[in-house]
Amino acid sequence: MFVRWLAALIAFGAVAFLGIAVFGDFSADAAGNSWALIAAIGLAVGFVAYAAIEFAQTGGFASIARQFDIRTLALMPVAIAINIILGAAVANALKIPIYLDSIGTILVGALAGPIPGALTGFLANILWQYIIPPPFQGTVAAPFAIVAAVIGLLAGLFGRAGWLRPRPDRSLGELAVGGVVALVVVIGLAIYAYTRFYTGAFQFFNPENDNVLFTVLGWLIALLFVGFAVGFLVLLVLRRDLTVAYVTIAGVLTGVVAALISAPISANLFSGITGSGTDFLVAAFRQAGSDIQTATFQQGLLSDPVDKLVTFFVVYLVLNAMARRSKARFPQGERLIETDATDTLGEAGWRGAPS
Amino acid sequence: MARRPELTVASPRDRGLPEAIGRPGPSAFHRLNPLTKATLATMSAIAAVVVGGLVGPLILLALAVVLPAAAAGVLRRLAVTSVLLALPIALSAFVLNLFFFPGGQDVLLRIGPVVATAEGLAFALEILVRIMAISGAITLFYLTTRPGDLVVDLERRGVSPRIAFVANASVQTVPAMVERASQITAAQRARGLDTEGSFLRRARGVVPIVGPVILGSIAEVEERTLALEARSFSRPGRRTLLWAPADSAVEAVLRWAMVVAVIGLVVARATGALA
Amino acid sequence: MSLRLEAVGYRYAGARQPALLDVDLELPDGAVVGVAGASEAGKTTLCLVAAGLAPRAIGGRIRGTLTLDGETIDAWPMHRVAAEISIGFQNPATQLSGVTTTVFEEVAFGPMNLALARDEIIDRAWDALEAVGLADLAERDPWRLSGGQQQLVAIAGLLAMRPRHLVLDEPTAQLDPAGTQLVGDALLRLAQRGASILIAEQKTDLLAAVCDTAVALRHGRVAAAGPAAEVLGAGLDELGVAPPARVRLQRAARKAGLPPDVIGRLAEATAR
Repeated sequence: MFVRWLAALIAFGAVAFLGIAVFGDFSADAAGNSWALIAAIGLAVGFVAYAAIEFAQTGGFASIARQFDIRTLALMPVAIAINIILGAAVANALKIPIYLDSIGTILVGALAGPIPGALTGFLANILWQYIIPPPFQGTVAAPFAIVAAVIGLLAGLFGRAGWLRPRPDRSLGELAVGGVVALVVVIGLAIYAYTRFYTGAFQFFNPENDNVLFTVLGWLIALLFVGFAVGFLVLLVLRRDLTVAYVTIAGVLTGVVAALISAPISANLFSGITGSGTDFLVAAFRQAGSDIQTATFQQGLLSDPVDKLVTFFVVYLVLNAMARRSKARFPQGERLIETDATDTLGEAGWRGAPS
Repeated sequence: MARRPELTVASPRDRGLPEAIGRPGPSAFHRLNPLTKATLATMSAIAAVVVGGLVGPLILLALAVVLPAAAAGVLRRLAVTSVLLALPIALSAFVLNLFFFPGGQDVLLRIGPVVATAEGLAFALEILVRIMAISGAITLFYLTTRPGDLVVDLERRGVSPRIAFVANASVQTVPAMVERASQITAAQRARGLDTEGSFLRRARGVVPIVGPVILGSIAEVEERTLALEARSFSRPGRRTLLWAPADSAVEAVLRWAMVVAVIGLVVARATGALA
Repeated sequence: MSLRLEAVGYRYAGARQPALLDVDLELPDGAVVGVAGASEAGKTTLCLVAAGLAPRAIGGRIRGTLTLDGETIDAWPMHRVAAEISIGFQNPATQLSGVTTTVFEEVAFGPMNLALARDEIIDRAWDALEAVGLADLAERDPWRLSGGQQQLVAIAGLLAMRPRHLVLDEPTAQLDPAGTQLVGDALLRLAQRGASILIAEQKTDLLAAVCDTAVALRHGRVAAAGPAAEVLGAGLDELGVAPPARVRLQRAARKAGLPPDVIGRLAEATAR
């Protein structure tokens, strides 16, 4: 048992060390630097090491397989199908710069836990490219499997921490605090990102900037942010559900992490081109003078948080629409239900399922 | 300690299994072990990325994709499918890079303020060729392999039956969900849902369809779980497979050779031996 | 090898009231036992409990004793119970495993999970297909069959596991009349062959045709138990269930004032 975790840790460390040695440059300027990707790969390799040791010891993967009860296994294909169908529809039909291919992943993460969530994301991307027939087949999906895995992992952790549990009918005071915290986090991140990654070669609002595209883009993005802030506050007050704030923060954080990991993949493998609506953004940033690495990261930092925000909200809505009984039977379902009087245990003569 | 399942496989037909199960493919390439074909596809894709440039991926495309496709008799389907898949990417690659390539000096064409450069053209072609190689390699795999075959082969080699289940079920759930979506679309239309018209109207019409599809599918998960339990699916350990694709030592050697070759390419690229 | 429930009660997770209370039921080998009752009377719950899915797969609390051949099965894991007592449900499509492309492989799914020898599995699959009359459809795609055919595939899949007892929860509820006929005939053949079945149904005609004994439920308790002809009689009206057609026919004949000997001959003619 201990041997497995040790092996995993060593593997993670080895990958990290190797990554730093080979790619080296983590200077403050290189926006597309790969440390997040290396960390993600390290996680994956560590997991493989853990599994390999367990297989060598016991000839099976019992400790991992046990986390996957039948209900989770029955949910995963549905989640994967949702990912693929929506993702393909958005990429092929609607040329908007978001992905919408993680709804299933985050749903499984929330209901079943981090590892099932990670596996759902991973499998969805691999199957999307290798086994699903056209017209749904994804052309560039497989290399991003590791991003999807990390998204599922994060969703599982947020679910486990109770971030997706409904908190309705809170006082205006509590809602105000939640709203402020969420807005501070999001706007703070936005300002940090803007000053760090988007200035320099060009400016969004600089009136002397003779590139009309960027001035327009800049105002559009600002409008989007204002719209988001207003909409968010309205939602918070209307539903009186404090979880809206939690979901917002979870979405934006997941989006940032996803952008960090996917940018190097997109830049190095495909030079930022994926055939979806995001290509325009990448081209625009390149035109303004960023190199490929930076441009893909700049695009990702815009698309991913928005995409994951929308996705987390959709998942939260879906979870709310599910019956309590259905959610409770999932491994992590208890964390998604409002806390009130739970099942009275230990009444005379009544016994539960054998363990 | 669990016993490792055997690798040799008798032909499915002599034991009373229906003919349709495990039927071998029409060509020699089809009859290759699925793992071999998958390895070929993945290694070709990786090689196309590593080698870079214009010539390398084209050679790879010819050798690892076009040649086997011709041998397998799927060349035409491959061409059609690849072109269809690559079209959106080709569009992006060309339009965006041809005209918006930064730092391009060698001007080819000038349309108003927009300039097409030779560097942009070269870059766009490189991306296109790389993506065609990757997409071609994987489409070749998809066209010559039944999806269930790869999963059965992996399960025979030791992958957990539970993971195999998820992979197989996902392949069947996608078309089932699409069919459900069309049924719900028809039902909603009968109730007056507007599915034509402006983009905004169509976008608004998405929710009454996507919502029931997602929720309906999730609601079914409960029933499916019970039905699976009723068939002892939660029994720990291996299960018996009715058949598995044949494998041979030659193919195993080939697979390892491909992996080693690609690793060699990666090393060569990293140490600068490649251009 | 009889399955016996004694004073069995069951409460769903988070529910205040029990869904079943004080139920006694015996399913002897080779017998067909029917369960009648209005909706929400507890038929489905009884089936889930008898097949071991409640509480194992759905949580909740149980009391009372379940024994198989005298041995208590409380501590048995789910897959072991499933091999002895297999349950079929209403919806034909959700019972498909979703991982097979032929009817044959679908039927073989259960035995494959039991890790039996390959020849054994193939034998059992063919036997099960013949028992429900689907041997000709062995190579068809299960998704492309009619509802009734899919339900028969599901039942064949359960039979292939060679369980001691088969539990069927309203197998014809979601079928059209043609499908109901198909499944009803197959069940009749199975009953005549000596299969051991616990079948819950709203369609009391079906129960009257196949069952030896029956049980009627009301609000989770047993309201009547005994030979099928007795239980499935006029008394069902109080329970909110339509009695079988022959009972209704006799009642209508009596009301219309037909002479007793005619009614007697009607009863004989419509008897099983």
